[in-house]
Parts: sequence; structure tokens; C-alpha cells
Amino acid sequence: MSTPNGKRTIDMEIIGDWVEPGSRVVDLGCGSGQLLEYLVQSKGVQAIGVDLSFLNISACVRKGLNAYQGDMTDFLREFPDRFFDRIICSRTLHELQRPSTVVDEALRASRALTVGFVNQGFWKNRLSALHGKKVVNEVFPTAWAESRPANHLSITDFEQFCAGRGITIRRRVLLSGNWRTPCRALPNLLAGYALYDLSQGG
Amino acid sequence: MTDDDKSAPDSPAGPTTSLLVAPRDFVCMQPFIFESGQTLPGFTLRYETYGALNAARDNSIIVCHALSGDHHCAGRHAPGDRKPGWWDNLIGPGKAVDTNRFFVVCANVLGGCRGSSGPSSINPATGRSFGISFPFVTIRDMVRAQKILCEHLGLSSVYAVLGGSMGGMQALQWAIEYPSFVRKIIPMACTARESAQAIAFNEVGRQAIMQDPDWHGGGYLAGAGPRVGLAVARMMAHITYLSDTSMDRKFGRRKKETAAADAYNFDVQFEVESYLRHQGQAFINRFDANSYLYITRALDHFDLAEAYGSLEESFRSVEAETLVVGFTSDWLFPPDQNRTIVHALLRAGKRASYAELTTDLGHDSFLLESEDLYDLVHGFLECAPVAAPAPAPATDSRP
Repeated sequence: MSTPNGKRTIDMEIIGDWVEPGSRVVDLGCGSGQLLEYLVQSKGVQAIGVDLSFLNISACVRKGLNAYQGDMTDFLREFPDRFFDRIICSRTLHELQRPSTVVDEALRASRALTVGFVNQGFWKNRLSALHGKKVVNEVFPTAWAESRPANHLSITDFEQFCAGRGITIRRRVLLSGNWRTPCRALPNLLAGYALYDLSQGG
Repeated sequence: MTDDDKSAPDSPAGPTTSLLVAPRDFVCMQPFIFESGQTLPGFTLRYETYGALNAARDNSIIVCHALSGDHHCAGRHAPGDRKPGWWDNLIGPGKAVDTNRFFVVCANVLGGCRGSSGPSSINPATGRSFGISFPFVTIRDMVRAQKILCEHLGLSSVYAVLGGSMGGMQALQWAIEYPSFVRKIIPMACTARESAQAIAFNEVGRQAIMQDPDWHGGGYLAGAGPRVGLAVARMMAHITYLSDTSMDRKFGRRKKETAAADAYNFDVQFEVESYLRHQGQAFINRFDANSYLYITRALDHFDLAEAYGSLEESFRSVEAETLVVGFTSDWLFPPDQNRTIVHALLRAGKRASYAELTTDLGHDSFLLESEDLYDLVHGFLECAPVAAPAPAPATDSRP
């Protein structure tokens, strides 16, 4: 059984805490299924991952997980309103072509949406920008020439976006730069990682 | 599917691939009632098996063939055979469908012409071939006949059913018809209902056969028949199994060496013409024209949404876990039609996955020699679902 450890998996426990046992869950950008496997094992969810990569789908299938190869918005459009209990978008948002479309579709097709992202406003990340360099760290280890296009966001960006769309933030977890201890003050500057539990409307 | 010689050199494993098999006939003496309401006093299915049935009798895998396929899906009938079975690259000892582990069964479909009962079989009442007096066959009839074979073989359940194209339709029908009997299905290059275009191609093939004067209203004698019509049907259908890119790569505009310097005639000039004519000729030696009519009709009639009210409704009873595999260059049963199956299964609360291979070989891509495809199929067959701490909730408790 995979257990959360290290920065790449620290958010799995928090994400798992927000998942109702036995519920119907989608992981957008599921990769090779690490989070899905954890959720199925710890929460007995009925889960499906969505990813563009054949090799990731194949890896999920090999683990006994359900996965769907294709565009996440197109996928979500196939389901009626509130079909899923929770959709998870963990460290995926910054890679999307039009994040707002995915967030809208997810909040339609699901009762709840978990969003987790690395805060671009974190001071170390700002420092990289100040030095005129791409952020390279444990989570984004590749130099610019080996990286995919990314559309990074900050806590302020995201909360303004939610407010503008009438998206309710039901829960929020902000972690400091070590991704372990909570961040209590000046989150857009001091939080390294942010997790949101969202729903549409009240 | 096409007859291309994909037998090419066997994997370096050499001896493990020299599976020798012999076809067998299962003769069912019980009356069989077709979906059309027509009946036969009994029927025969020709089939092959590979590997051994385990003590629990639950390690079997049913392989379902496509329109022009047959029961010989793996191994060779004699060591000197030029070609092995049509899915030998996938099925065999140590292969993706591992016959060291699984008991693989493949039967020629009901209505076929490769040993199973079909229009070319002798009607005991008349002493002549049934011709078009043979009952109309549906995908469901094919599957129901296979189930009777499974009972004859003493299978307590089926571990998996897999097939491409029409074989995929059968896999879906298996999961719908016998939910508690089937654990996994892998439909590939499949559809839950043919598009107008696919029906149109089938109709052109049927017309080529039926407009051939030698068809004689389906009453031709064994060994005779609408050879020209069947060959033309095959030539046309063959194009729909390939792709523009793959044909261009294989033939381009290359001309036959024998093409006359004087090009102003209608002899074979391009290699692609010669290839298609060869495919047509090869086909008439192994396929019955009336079977072609029956099986293409079965394909056209297959429509799960119509048969059950909606596609979700058709999957309501399914218990099997499904892996659908689509191929980007398949324009006969394109990726979207494969995706549609998975969407409906998920909406019905079932366990389903969709994977798509980027290939340029068209509909026949499911026969591809691809490590990615092997890994996917092998991974799906060998995996156990991730263990959950509590039983999954009822899946259809909500609208």
C-alpha cells in the first residue's frame, strides 16, 4: 500500500480526509494512479482517473484502477449534474489550457471539488522570478528547457477567481514552505502549498 | 480483418511460440432458438483451446473473432504451417494472454463458414445447404451459442472475454447477457452501434454479392457461388480496415513491374490494385458469400441502445470490469464510438477504463504488434482490483 511521504505525496492525506468513504471520485490528471490507489485503499471509493497519457492509463490499469484516457473537460461533459461526489484536481490546474472551463465543468458534474496547487506567490518562488529564473525545486525539478508549458497561480489569483465566480470555499488548508506545518499569516507570501475544498453556490 | 501476413518472425523465445493446436467440433443436439424466433434442431461450433483449465474451472478466456476471422486465433495446426492463428502475437505461452495461466477458448461464430453451423451447412431436412433459409443470426445469438459451448466445457465462470471489432461487440454482449459469469471484458476497436457509414459499407458488400448472377438467390451449390461479388465485397471492406496513411506507406503509387509501358489500359498497374485483387481472390477460397451476408447483417443490427432502451440501461446488469481500447486511426469504429461505451458504463456506475493507442493502421490496429498494447492487456488480465477496506456501495442507488 502506498503511504504518503515526502513533498510529492504530503497532500494525499489531506485530500483523503475530505473524501467520504465509498463515494464516487474522479482524479483529474491522475498520472500513474498513486493518489487513486491511496484513496481506494484507505477510503474504499469508487474512483476513476483521467489522464492524457496512454502509459499513465496503462499503469493505472495494471494497478487494478479505473482510468480514462482523454480530455478532462470532454470527459466531465458526459456526466449529469452532481453525478460525482468529489472531483480532485491536485497539482494539475497550472497545466491546463483553460483552467476556468475545467473548474466550471467539475463543479457542475460533482458536488465538491478539491483543488491543490503550489503557490506561485510563495516568497521563494517570487525570489526565483526576481532573479529572472524559472522556479526549480523538489516539486518542479526540471529546468525550463525540459519543462512543459505551465500557467502557475497564486493564492490571491485563485481566491479572486473563486469570489468572482460565486464558488464557495468550504475548507482551505495552507501549508508553509515545508508543506507540513500550517501557514498562519500572510499566506500568499508564506504558504508554499494550498488546498481548497470547493462547491458551487451555497 | 485483413489477411496480411503478420506472422513475421516469431519472438526470440522460439519454442514457447510453437503452440500446436487442433480444432474441435462441439455438436449441440438441443434445439436453438434464435433471437429472430427461428429455430434449429441443433448446431455445431468449431473451436480451439489453448492452455489448461484449472481445478476451479475459472481461468478461461473467451476470444471472439471479427467478421472474417475464425476459431484459429493462436498457434499452428502443424509445425510447418506458414501462418499461425490470427491473434498469435497476443495469445500464447508467456504472451500478453498467457496460455500458461489461462485456458483460452475461441470458437467460429454461429452463422460462420469455418466449421460452425451457418448458411453453407447442410440442412438435414433437404440434404442441401441452408443458403438464405438459415435463421437470421445476431451478435446475441453468437454469444448464446458460445455460452452453451462453455457449459459443455464445464467452465464455472469466464475470467475474461476479449475481441476486436465484431469480437468486441460479442464481449459487450457477454457481459450484458451473463453478468455473473464474466469477470472482465476487453472490447477493442468496437462500437455499441454501427454508424450509417459502416452500415453503408456493409450494404455495398452485400449488393456486390447479391447482384452477382452466380448468387442465385443464395441457392448456389457448394464450391460455386458469387465469386466475383464476394471478392469485390472483400476488396472494398479491406480498405475500411486500413488507413490512408498505412496504405500510402505500404503501396504509395508504386506500379507493378509487369505494368505495361503502354498505361492506357485497365490491367493491373498499381501495386495497391494487385494487392486488393489478391485479397479478394484469397477470400473467396475461404469464405462463404451467404455467411458474409449474415454476419454483416448481424453487425448492422447490433444496437445496444435500441435493444435495451439506452446504452446505460443495456449495461445496468453488467458486473464485469471493462477495458475498452480504441485506436486513433480507426475510422470504421472510431475512438469516439469506443469512448461512448465507457461513458455509458461509468454513468451506469460500472467499473470501466478507456485506453487509446496512437497508430496509423486503421481499424485493424487491434492486431498490431505493440508492446504497449501487450502491456495494457497483460496488466488488465493479471491485476486484482485494489482492495478497499469496506465493500463498495451500491452503485445504482442514485439516478
